Amino acid sequence: MIQIQTKQSGKQYWRSLDQLSHTGEFKDWLHREFPANASEMLDGTSRRNLLKLMAASMGLAGLTACRRPVEKILPNVRGVEDYIPGKPFFYSTVFTQGGTGMGLLVEVNDGRPTKIEGNPDHPYSLGAATGYQQASVLGLYDPDRARIPMTGGNPSEWKAFDDFAKDHSTKLGTGEGLRFLSDRICSPSLLAVKAAALAKYPGAKWVEYNAVTHDETAAGGQLAFGQPVITRHKFDKADVILSLDDDFLGLDANTVLPQKEFSRRRRVTSAKDEMNRLYVIESQYSVTGAMADHRLRMRSSDVKGFVADLAAELKVGGNELQIVGGNRDAKRTKWIKAIAKDLTEHKGKCLVVAGPRQPAAVHAMAHLINQALGNVGETVVFFKSAADTVRPQLDAIKELAADMAGGKVSTLVMLGGNPAYTAPADLEFAANLKKVPLSIYLGLEVDETAVLSKWSLPEAHYLESWSDATAPDGTASVQQPMIQPLYFGRTAAELVAQLAGYKDQRAYDIVRNYWIAKFGGKDEAEKTWRKSLHDGVIPGAAQAEIKPTIDVKKINGAIQGAAAATDALEVVFVQSASVYDGRFANNGWLQEAPEPMNKLTWDNAALLSPATAKKLGVAQGDVISIERAGRGMQAPVLIQPGQADDSISIALGYGRVECGRVGKNVGENAYRIRTTDGFRFAADARVRKVAGTYPLAQTQEHGSMEGRPLVREANLEEFRKEPKFAQEMVEHGPLVALYPDHDYSKGYQWGMSIDLNVCSGCNACVIACQSENNIPIVGKDQVIKGREMHWIRMDRYYSGTGEHPDEDPQVVTQPVTCMQCETAPCENVCPVAATTHSPEGLNDMAYNRCVGTRYCSNNCPYKVRRFNFLAWNYGTEEVQKMHYNPNVTVRMRGVMEKCTYCVQRIQEKKILAKREGRRLIKDGEIQTACQQTCPADAIVFGNINDAESRVAKLKGQTRDYSMLEELNTKPRTTYLAKLRNPNEELAEKHNG
Amino acid sequence: METTTPQTVDKAIYGVVAEFDLPEKLVAAGRKIHHDYGYTKLDALSPFPVHGIDDAIGVPRSILGYMVFCTGAVGFAGAIALIYYAGAISYKLVIGGKPFFAFEPSIPIIFECTVLLSAFMAVFGMFGLNKLPQLYHPTMNYAGFPGVTNDRFLLVVEATDPKFDIVDTQRLLESLGAKKTEVVEA
Amino acid sequence: MADLATRQDPHVRARLVEGNPSLGQLTETVSKIVESRTQYSWYIAIGVTGSITGILGMMLAYLVSTGIGVWGNNQPVGWAWDITNFVFWIGIGHAGTLISAILFLFRQKWRTSINRFAEAMTLFAVACAGIFPLFHTGRPWRAYWLFPIPNTDLYMWPNFRSPLVWDVFAVSTYATVSALFWYVGLVPDLATLRDRAKNFSKYVYGALSLGWRGSARHWRNYEAAYMILAGLSTPLVLSVHTIVSFDFAASIIPGWHTTIFPPYFVAGAIFSGFAMVVTLMVIARWVFNVEHLVTIKHLENMCKIMLATGTVVGYAYATEFFIAWYSGNPYERFVFINRAFGPYWWAYWSMVSCNVISPQFFWFKKLRTNIPFMFFISIVVNIGMWFERFVIIATSLHRDFLPSSWGYFRPTAVDMLTFFGTFGLFLTLFLLFVRFLPMIAVSEVKGMVATDAMHDAHHAEAVKH
Repeated sequence: MIQIQTKQSGKQYWRSLDQLSHTGEFKDWLHREFPANASEMLDGTSRRNLLKLMAASMGLAGLTACRRPVEKILPNVRGVEDYIPGKPFFYSTVFTQGGTGMGLLVEVNDGRPTKIEGNPDHPYSLGAATGYQQASVLGLYDPDRARIPMTGGNPSEWKAFDDFAKDHSTKLGTGEGLRFLSDRICSPSLLAVKAAALAKYPGAKWVEYNAVTHDETAAGGQLAFGQPVITRHKFDKADVILSLDDDFLGLDANTVLPQKEFSRRRRVTSAKDEMNRLYVIESQYSVTGAMADHRLRMRSSDVKGFVADLAAELKVGGNELQIVGGNRDAKRTKWIKAIAKDLTEHKGKCLVVAGPRQPAAVHAMAHLINQALGNVGETVVFFKSAADTVRPQLDAIKELAADMAGGKVSTLVMLGGNPAYTAPADLEFAANLKKVPLSIYLGLEVDETAVLSKWSLPEAHYLESWSDATAPDGTASVQQPMIQPLYFGRTAAELVAQLAGYKDQRAYDIVRNYWIAKFGGKDEAEKTWRKSLHDGVIPGAAQAEIKPTIDVKKINGAIQGAAAATDALEVVFVQSASVYDGRFANNGWLQEAPEPMNKLTWDNAALLSPATAKKLGVAQGDVISIERAGRGMQAPVLIQPGQADDSISIALGYGRVECGRVGKNVGENAYRIRTTDGFRFAADARVRKVAGTYPLAQTQEHGSMEGRPLVREANLEEFRKEPKFAQEMVEHGPLVALYPDHDYSKGYQWGMSIDLNVCSGCNACVIACQSENNIPIVGKDQVIKGREMHWIRMDRYYSGTGEHPDEDPQVVTQPVTCMQCETAPCENVCPVAATTHSPEGLNDMAYNRCVGTRYCSNNCPYKVRRFNFLAWNYGTEEVQKMHYNPNVTVRMRGVMEKCTYCVQRIQEKKILAKREGRRLIKDGEIQTACQQTCPADAIVFGNINDAESRVAKLKGQTRDYSMLEELNTKPRTTYLAKLRNPNEELAEKHNG
Repeated sequence: METTTPQTVDKAIYGVVAEFDLPEKLVAAGRKIHHDYGYTKLDALSPFPVHGIDDAIGVPRSILGYMVFCTGAVGFAGAIALIYYAGAISYKLVIGGKPFFAFEPSIPIIFECTVLLSAFMAVFGMFGLNKLPQLYHPTMNYAGFPGVTNDRFLLVVEATDPKFDIVDTQRLLESLGAKKTEVVEA
Repeated sequence: MADLATRQDPHVRARLVEGNPSLGQLTETVSKIVESRTQYSWYIAIGVTGSITGILGMMLAYLVSTGIGVWGNNQPVGWAWDITNFVFWIGIGHAGTLISAILFLFRQKWRTSINRFAEAMTLFAVACAGIFPLFHTGRPWRAYWLFPIPNTDLYMWPNFRSPLVWDVFAVSTYATVSALFWYVGLVPDLATLRDRAKNFSKYVYGALSLGWRGSARHWRNYEAAYMILAGLSTPLVLSVHTIVSFDFAASIIPGWHTTIFPPYFVAGAIFSGFAMVVTLMVIARWVFNVEHLVTIKHLENMCKIMLATGTVVGYAYATEFFIAWYSGNPYERFVFINRAFGPYWWAYWSMVSCNVISPQFFWFKKLRTNIPFMFFISIVVNIGMWFERFVIIATSLHRDFLPSSWGYFRPTAVDMLTFFGTFGLFLTLFLLFVRFLPMIAVSEVKGMVATDAMHDAHHAEAVKH
């Protein structure tokens, strides 16, 4: 039955798309990124045609119907056992990225997964989620996903592939010439299937490759300890942290856990409290660097020399450590002395971490220093790695490419990862792929690899299929589907099982039987299985802690050698905060999420320090060509204060050519100059200015606070002397109103407190809000016009310190959303009373009353209101509509909108409380979307009338202040002032 | 006995019209015929308001001012009532934490409503008092009537005036300097 | 006795009406403009202005069908050309009522030749102005919610605290009263046309003049009504721009939140209004050769008023800066420095040079009696006044409290064509007016001429004896 449907929908789709692809209109539409559509919306007709085409081409009619999976899956306690229409379920599942799993809780409305939350029971999630995870639900409903199997570029169907596979697997013999290529695997069941496959085909090889890897981290462990280890940093245990080019609060770790732990040590409630100290040595300004008490900008290639000198200063590993050359200016020496002193003063309570970009030696040095300072077992612990040896992925893929080139590979099975796009440029993977007689690609979208493969098969999204995954410490979780595969995709395990003739063929059986077997004991197993599904964590799967020791000699050998040349420019390849390695390129939410530091959307750019830009004679928006290793690319210049001089950072994952409408041709492809010998950074780039300029869509163009007390900041010492500094920062007369204030002393009075001291500006809240409140994307052109719609935005200000404030500023981030002012200026001026105050102190917005004069927005001092200048939601395809939150109106063109404190969540809990016959809602029972997902727990929401509530207590702190209070707007959202804990030896004049 | 002339019997007479070429002549004639000869049912037609004609032929002052004042007062009160009812009775909304009704922010609207209603009364009240529109009037039967909106000045003595007499009145008017006089029918 | 004309004393006549026309001649001069055969040039002119109006229509259709996004407005500049144009036109609309009402109360006789014309201009300017508050809303089909109609959608009332609602009342009242005032003034002249008309048009004018026959009883009530309307319009005309200025003064945005706005805006309105009257009058008196009714004296007086109000406006600019500095409010200070030296410096300095410097030339009689020159200046002044509104609105909004939200406004072609289109509408209405209605208040002019004559006559006789 299902199969028949597949055929029909599939054939129909391709037939029409095929004929479409010949109409010119469709072509140039294809060559335009979706955002251009937003501006294209100006042209109603072309837009309508487009819709007709899409509607005709996609057999999506049935998709909005409820597609609850047929297998038995169990709702989390927070859902209800029996389905009530309109009542959401919450299922636990796991999200896999970069070879590690992260436990999630997914809200399912009427059979549609609509919202991602972190799983509080999962040790690496603890209830929070990252922007990638929040946005992944949009990827599920991406209308541009691969829909049916294709062979040789022609539409086919699963049955045809099944027949082919059955026949072909018999021909494979011992599997000489059979290769598997996949992301790093962290799925136990897939590993089992892999083992079976390799057992059946002893001649076959399985290669793992990730464009964004922690290879060097692993290699560093291997180098240091002589065995593969998994390092777990306990940031909450450390008083002093030194980050060597490691954005552990941002992109270089799984973000959530480090932030949870790190922020615990910066939660200063009174003048007595202690606070940790963070030193960051990095080339590109990261959120970690923004959080740093001291940040030293340094080319990534100089970090090795820095850590060697630091080790020498610390007298660890003996004085045979030498780095020849490299710059050793006074500032650097001063820093090394100060940091070394600080670290030694905090033996056992400090922590040195190295970033995945840094070579194994640096990681080994970090381990060495940690051990020497007695941090092992305190701030850093180790787990046994699942793998028993570490084979660098680069070697593996090099070998694979060589085999492909040498015609040794007859069958190549690629499980996602889009290697044709992400593989190092010098391997010419795409070209070699053509040489492989039979290539099979299983992918979510029709990407660069799919179009080159003999067979390209639609993969099942993680929200619609069964699998499992383990967290770095081995904690395993089952990935359960919330919905049947929209496009009849299959999982990697299913494909491999099919080729290997594995005992189970369907993903459900593969996963379930694997674990049932592991649990053992029929009834027990069944119970444990149910419990695992329910909790989202499989009991007892975590790895045991180990205490390895270091072999100093090896390290010294590795650390020796010349420092990176300084004459050429360094180019650093960083994963994109939006599209990761390119896999999220077709995700509008992520494309429009501003890069945390430079606020760039819909593009990547070559980040240059002001000095370097001056040296190269380029300005913001100029285009430069970057050449290295005989390859070149062009990119627009974005001047990033705080960027290391002579170092260019460029984000990977852009410039996709085979991609959906959103991500196609967005930005520049940095993989073009990323080779195996310059995989993470390369200090051999030649740069020249080329003609033309390029418009960059930044959501914030002005970086200075203009000396206005918006983000209020002080050093810990100053705070101890002046606990009320934040409140006393602004002098103003008595705030008297013409009329007596409205009485808000009764009932619930909602308020919010945002702790700027822990907020890292990681954007998770922005995406969470977008997902919760059905906020549309507007596209690059509209962002340039200044019409982005985010209800919560992350303001980023540079505060000048030291001798070159514009070259090397400090950064503060401030989440700004509707302040819910008690005397709201917006309300007074609305001519139709569309925005008024609720008895609970919410600044309500009645969309259907709004006529759109925009007067409220003009009169809002915080500029948090967002206007629907065009019909952003017009023409959303049926399948995309499935991600909408049914409890939030989708706003029409011409009306104003803004943050509502997630009023739908407030109402939901009030109804619940009433139904349970409770009189009051418990504190913390209502969580706004931004609060719920914040990895740093910077946002706290609650009833300020309840003196015992967390929010009331926070507002009672001396750091509490309201922005622009001199306007007497009486905002309900207040901030906790930011603190820094500088080392007086490095102290510079601070004018924040 | 039967010496009546049918024409004069069934033809109703409206009055006598006298035409002058200068405004002051009109005023002088009007004053005489009203004050010296005691005619009361008089009217004067002129292309522009002739000064002094009112007391000359005894036209009382206009009562329009009082009518306008009353409607103005209605506008004033009405506006207050509207704003108070809308904000403090019909649909109470907390807006910017302000009271449901306050006088200060209401002043502009109160003022505008007062002016608007007053203006309506000033215009339509004037038309009413002038019994306009009135597309026919006996004086229009006078051949020279069109001149009245150009450069002629007419003095009209109505037949209903107790002192009215076709012959004497015409003669009197001519003696007062009328260029010509004519009897107009109703 | 002699005819009026023969008796008039030359030096008396020289004041306002030249060439000692008789009452009949006055009637003739004004009426024949309307009665004569339509010129081809008129058809050409209205063809041009009509098609410009067509552009306006197309732009508005595009706007309503697509959204405000077709304009350049953005965050944070929620208002830009839309409200700028609104204030620009409504400001121009102030001269008419001012001339007909305030100058009437001050017994400024010279107003009589130009008040009809100026009032017409007022009406048409207000019509153009009205377009923008309506179409600047995101959902114009819901704009009627600004009126106190308990609509059946939500049974809600407007928010009477909102200056925009005050605007609705002020502007609609102003439009209504101006129209009534204008029509009342027209009635006697329509009667004149009725009595001169040969063909069917006598029925049209007959109906419009409501059977007016200039009876003493009519004139008595008529004069009372006219006096009352003048008395009502005087505070009204001042209130309208005061309330328009409240749109900004009542907000909290630095650069808007200023107590000086009401007088400052009113002065600006009169300034621009008179400039527009001069622009149009100079053309009209020449085209319809009524130079002897609209004399150099009229134009000179208007130049004097432009000089006065222009100087007041300049003073207001200076005061704003002084107060910004004196207040010690950093946000205020920033806004004004940003106005003069920020990204929109060019707009600010165009405004200053057009509004403050250019009228100063009128200190010299030679210049304020030089028609080409005053024509040029009157246009410069209106450009400057448009920039004034743009500067106030856009530069205050584009950089307010939070630097993170600062932005920049760039107009789109639609912005420009919409504004351009309103001129088409304005001129089209004007061409219809001068073609079908008496552009000079004949009966008033007659009244003035005759009363002068009478006084002179008495004077002369007194001298004789």
